Amino acid sequence: MVVDVREAARANAPGRPRREITTAFVVSRIAVLAVAAAILLYAVPPLVAAGSWVSLGLLCAASAAIASLYLTRRFIPAKYLIPGTVFLLAFQVFPVVYTVTTAFTNFGDGHRGDKAAAITAIETGSVRQTPGSPEYGLTAALRGDELVFLLVDPATKQVGLGTAEGLTPLPGAEVGVTGKVLKAPGLTVLKAPEAAARAQEISALAVPTDGGVIKANGLSRAVEGRAALVYDAACDCVRGNGDTWTADADQGYFVNAKGEHLAQGWQVGVGFDNFARVLTDPTISGYFMGVLGWNVAFALASVFGTFALGMSVALALHNPRMRGTRVYRILLILPYAMPAFAMLLVWRDMFNRDFGLINQLLGANVDWLGEPATARLGVILVNLWLGFPYMFLVTTGALQAIPRELTEAASIDGATPWKAFRRVTLPLLLVALTPLLISSFAFNFNNFNAIALTTEGGPFPAESPQVGGTDLLITYTFRLAFGAGGAQFGFAAAISVFIFTIVAVVSAVAFRRTRKQEEVYA
Amino acid sequence: MRMRALGTAALATLAFAATACGNSQSASPAAPSASASAPAATTGAGSGTLVIWADPSRVKPLKPFADQFGTENGVTVEVKEISKDNQMTFLTASQQGSGPDIMIGAHDWIGNLVQNGAIDPVTLTAEQKAAFSEKAVQAVTFNGQIYGAPYAVENIALIRNTKLAPEAPATIEDMIDKGKELKAAGKVKEVLCLPVGQKGDAFHVYPLFASGGGALFGATPSGDPDPKQVLLGAPDSVKAFEKLKALGEKGDGALRTSITNENYIVNFAAGKCAYLVSGPWAISEVKKGGISYDITAVPAFKDGKPATPFVGVQSFFVASKGKNKALAQEFVANYVTNKDVAKALYEADPRPPALTAALQEVQASDPDAVKFMDAGKEGMPMPAIPEMAAIWEPFGIAETAVVKGGDAAKAAAAAQKAIDGALKN
Amino acid sequence: MKIALRHVFVLAVCAFAVFPILFVVSAAINPLGTLASTDLLPNGASLANFASLFGSDTYPFARWFFNSVFIALVASFASLLLSMFAAYAFSRMRFAGRRVGLLALLLIQMFPQFLAIVTIFMIFTRVTELYPAFGFNTVWGLMLLYLGGALGVNTWLMKGFLDTVPKELDEAATVDGATHAQIFWRVIMPLVTPILAVTAMLAFIGIMSEFLMANVFLRDPESKTLAVGMYGMIAGDRRNANFGMFAAATLLTAVPTVGVFLWLQKYIVSGLTAGAVKG
Repeated sequence: MVVDVREAARANAPGRPRREITTAFVVSRIAVLAVAAAILLYAVPPLVAAGSWVSLGLLCAASAAIASLYLTRRFIPAKYLIPGTVFLLAFQVFPVVYTVTTAFTNFGDGHRGDKAAAITAIETGSVRQTPGSPEYGLTAALRGDELVFLLVDPATKQVGLGTAEGLTPLPGAEVGVTGKVLKAPGLTVLKAPEAAARAQEISALAVPTDGGVIKANGLSRAVEGRAALVYDAACDCVRGNGDTWTADADQGYFVNAKGEHLAQGWQVGVGFDNFARVLTDPTISGYFMGVLGWNVAFALASVFGTFALGMSVALALHNPRMRGTRVYRILLILPYAMPAFAMLLVWRDMFNRDFGLINQLLGANVDWLGEPATARLGVILVNLWLGFPYMFLVTTGALQAIPRELTEAASIDGATPWKAFRRVTLPLLLVALTPLLISSFAFNFNNFNAIALTTEGGPFPAESPQVGGTDLLITYTFRLAFGAGGAQFGFAAAISVFIFTIVAVVSAVAFRRTRKQEEVYA
Repeated sequence: MRMRALGTAALATLAFAATACGNSQSASPAAPSASASAPAATTGAGSGTLVIWADPSRVKPLKPFADQFGTENGVTVEVKEISKDNQMTFLTASQQGSGPDIMIGAHDWIGNLVQNGAIDPVTLTAEQKAAFSEKAVQAVTFNGQIYGAPYAVENIALIRNTKLAPEAPATIEDMIDKGKELKAAGKVKEVLCLPVGQKGDAFHVYPLFASGGGALFGATPSGDPDPKQVLLGAPDSVKAFEKLKALGEKGDGALRTSITNENYIVNFAAGKCAYLVSGPWAISEVKKGGISYDITAVPAFKDGKPATPFVGVQSFFVASKGKNKALAQEFVANYVTNKDVAKALYEADPRPPALTAALQEVQASDPDAVKFMDAGKEGMPMPAIPEMAAIWEPFGIAETAVVKGGDAAKAAAAAQKAIDGALKN
Repeated sequence: MKIALRHVFVLAVCAFAVFPILFVVSAAINPLGTLASTDLLPNGASLANFASLFGSDTYPFARWFFNSVFIALVASFASLLLSMFAAYAFSRMRFAGRRVGLLALLLIQMFPQFLAIVTIFMIFTRVTELYPAFGFNTVWGLMLLYLGGALGVNTWLMKGFLDTVPKELDEAATVDGATHAQIFWRVIMPLVTPILAVTAMLAFIGIMSEFLMANVFLRDPESKTLAVGMYGMIAGDRRNANFGMFAAATLLTAVPTVGVFLWLQKYIVSGLTAGAVKG
């Protein structure tokens, strides 16, 4: 195997342009190998211990692939892309793909786990204490290697021996003042830490009785009880309390004849139901276009507002004769340096009609966040405040890359500053910044926090409490998915797929236009 | 030269890879030590560690008791802190198998936790049950089972500035009259400090709504709230909304959307209003403001129904998917139900203890706790049914609409429609 | 005269930038810590909120501060490196799937992150079992997660900038016999220091303010970051009681960011590189 690879390496070697072997080359290769080896050495033993051979195989294959990638001279782009891509795949792509698959299920509150978990929960939740049964004091003990219960009836102080076979009286045991058994003939009584170490066994032991089973309730008490609801695999149903609930694989619930279901359900595939619901739910479709229109306006206003303001300040400071630029720059990035969620709350307060700073300063009595028009203006203003330092920073960076000679040449040619800006500076800036504007649009299109922490989507017209004046698609639909019916992850995922499609199309179209710009310098 | 370097390098990696992979597959002598120790360590940790999740203000006070419990039972007890979305994080973590053994939260989570199979019933002895206030036990009971060990009870009450309003008002009308009089005299700026905000605040306005005759749910035969009967749009509720409208911006001006959760306590603490509707969490701020105050139940409308506040009960839950259930049950059912734990939690965050004995001890140093408890005597435990999630927002929006002077019948109908639509799904 | 106009404009924008923050300052030094007072001027001035912030048992603020700065520095440096590599490939090389890859990078960012929490739990529950050092409750696990986001926006940012660096430069270097690695480290990197500095700054700020993931990862009071810890301070009905401390903490959060900016500023505005770019 080793030989094969060496030959493969040799076989690849001819035909490639020969380059000198530098120290850096050797060192870097050794470093790559060392890292790969270290990761393998660290990662393999736990996988072996857990017996996950598939993961192990994947790990070895991935390591071998990566090691060989860095040992050959080919696949140069891949060498640069792989490090980030590995993390991207693991922590971004995989979660997104998995989330999308949940769009085809009813995953959400009441349907989080599988059927077995639901059955366990139903049975456990229905265990009632046998009426009139004593609340036993519990002491765990060992009979040989077998864990047994010593059960003290608090009323009679009689000690019973509880095993998996049943409860038998145990004469001769010595009971302490706390109700714990101190000594029992032929048994080793466990002290608290010893019992705690066997906590799992204690939970598992069930002592059968006429009225049900006695199970431990913690480490010092035991209770006799019976499950009111019991699952019967033969009919795939749950019986009890004089009723029968049959498993319904379409809903993921146990349903009785009256159509009522038990609270605990499980996750089932629902096909395209979630998607159909997005399209047919009148509370979504009825308001969709209005919300979408405002959403696009909000995203565009945010992008161009922040860009215009950020760029203007950056340009204003981009002059060798400007003094105090350091101080200005620090002041300008302050909004960005503050935790956004805190500042959103501050802004919300400033917009308060009776107590807010803005009305106070303007001497006005405007209910800023209470009227749709002013609320929209307000959130755009807040978003401008939050976002312009970002644009300021990147424009400042981009301006450095534009040779000053170019603008100077323009002004020598007699162009007005405005023309110089339009003809020289702006196009060059846009080469660097267009991709950023696109991603900024995508970000603001889904800017959940900017709305959720300020207006929460409001103001809401009294006649349609579902849709507020400043609701974005994401805040509005997620309120539907997470508000009323608890968390409905499957539905939320389906909604996300729709919104994602919209943004993706817009961005992809915008992205196509950047192709030309890319070639400006090429 | 170059080829040799490459070849050696390739050989070296492959050798590394081969030893690493090969070692494992054959489980040769080197591996067992690692593989044997690793599972031993994890199972050891599994049976010897109890993990509790709490919100930030309760981690510190719980710590000494957790340690004590750990020492007595020879286990490590870890108290972990979750700051945000506690219920959702607990559910997700539990489901995936990395949740805690014990969760601390409010009783109104119970319905949702149960339908997700996330918590187990807690068996309390008759004696233990008797030690708690009745409301607390009622609140943690769901479908006839007790699902948590309560430790603190909280509800809102009327806190009044005794300098401005020496007498506790008998009715809402009295309170509004006095408030308006003080406002006219320039002594206060607001008639009443009750948060409304742009999205309404169902929790704080509920006593007034209830006193006006409004109701959220009908009742099942057993007396539990019945999610099949949402009564927000019922004629009685419309009347209650009309009363809220009369108190609102176009009426008495007592309820205002500009009074929000952020400013209502502070306004009272600064002496800008004589009456505050709030809970035990407001007291530290009120004291800081140097206000002399008294706490009474929220009054009812004249000839109205009782102004029942919601009662919330903070509880310990045993996680179904915890790795160490016996220890968790021991901690929740037999250990944490003691007076000292309740008192320590009270001192860290002064909410009236659910244990009657602890409440009595606290009373000596702090009369407020009992006053809040008394104000909540008629209270209604917040409905723990999952369907309650559908109520809050439409109710709040309807409240805001009428406070702004909107039509009560229309707002109530819209809320009813929204809730019905949501619960059908 | 024109310079004066520039000053007026910049001053106006500065005022816009700063005035909500003055509000926070007011709340932080106000003994009755609150945002509700309509006045910018506090009722009184004291540093009590700062004192209680550092003296608090419940909120180990100094630790949070350290944690945040540490995580942000390490993670932003690593993610800078990763995204720089990728940006270089995207800007300078032509390969199959390049534009699709770029677009995919952008689109993947648009998926609401909080839906992914469920999957993150799934992944890291397994990781915690196998490799506790990178699991829940560890800083390292959180950093791995942050590296997953490294390629996203930063690659786009840097790729845009790299496109403005004339290709002739590296072509000349290639003719001189330089390898792609040498071009990357010796030619490109020095030219793009302003961009590196800007990106580093943005990555630093981004990680400083992230709390969705940090909230589920860091569960010990001592291991929290500022964003998570501060969120806990005002969560639920503790908002009013802690607001003064919260405002003080908000102000202090800006300190490391401003510090990093001061340090990077000279790279961001080193006008000299502009001359070099011309080639």
